[in-house]
Amino acid sequence: MPSHFLLMVVYALLVSVFFTALWRRERRDQVRLFLQLFLGMVVGGLVVAWLMLPFPPGPPTGGP
Amino acid sequence: MSAPERKGASVAEAGSAPRRAWWTAGAAWLVPGLGHLLLGRRARALLFAVLVFGALAIGVALRGPLLFFEGGFIGKLVTLASMGVGLPYFVLRLSGYHGEALAIGFEYGKAFIATAGLMNLLLVLDAWDIASGRKE
Repeated sequence: MPSHFLLMVVYALLVSVFFTALWRRERRDQVRLFLQLFLGMVVGGLVVAWLMLPFPPGPPTGGP
Repeated sequence: MSAPERKGASVAEAGSAPRRAWWTAGAAWLVPGLGHLLLGRRARALLFAVLVFGALAIGVALRGPLLFFEGGFIGKLVTLASMGVGLPYFVLRLSGYHGEALAIGFEYGKAFIATAGLMNLLLVLDAWDIASGRKE
């Protein structure tokens, strides 16, 4: 399976292109919205991942 | 919008609006991109079809599930979202594909498949708006 990050980027790319084509007609507006959506999702995902770093990665595995 | 797209749209606008809107919305749901193709938006239809089928293909490649009202409330919502992709959902179900719960990409695949369906549902609404004259 590809990396988590690659899947997140591909997902963000698909969704960003979709909404850009659906909502904007002018090229300048399209570029602006695409960058807002794409960078918002990728950078936002990285920020959320960073904020979750202190939390344990999974369910408790039991005591020693 | 390009000239061929505009020309196709004016030809398509000849029918009665409400009835045409229903047919277009139905076609848009059944096959991703078909609604915009019928409205003469060829380039956009192709792009939307590539995006929706692409998301679905990635979801299937990751062995994500094609739910049919399994699980709790969230499972039912995911089912409705996945069904939004139209005919491909039923073709995949009937061909025996259900996903693999133990696959490492199962949850990612679920997200891609549900997103493909939700994108197509938005295309249905967009096709409806264009066909009924609410949007150019």
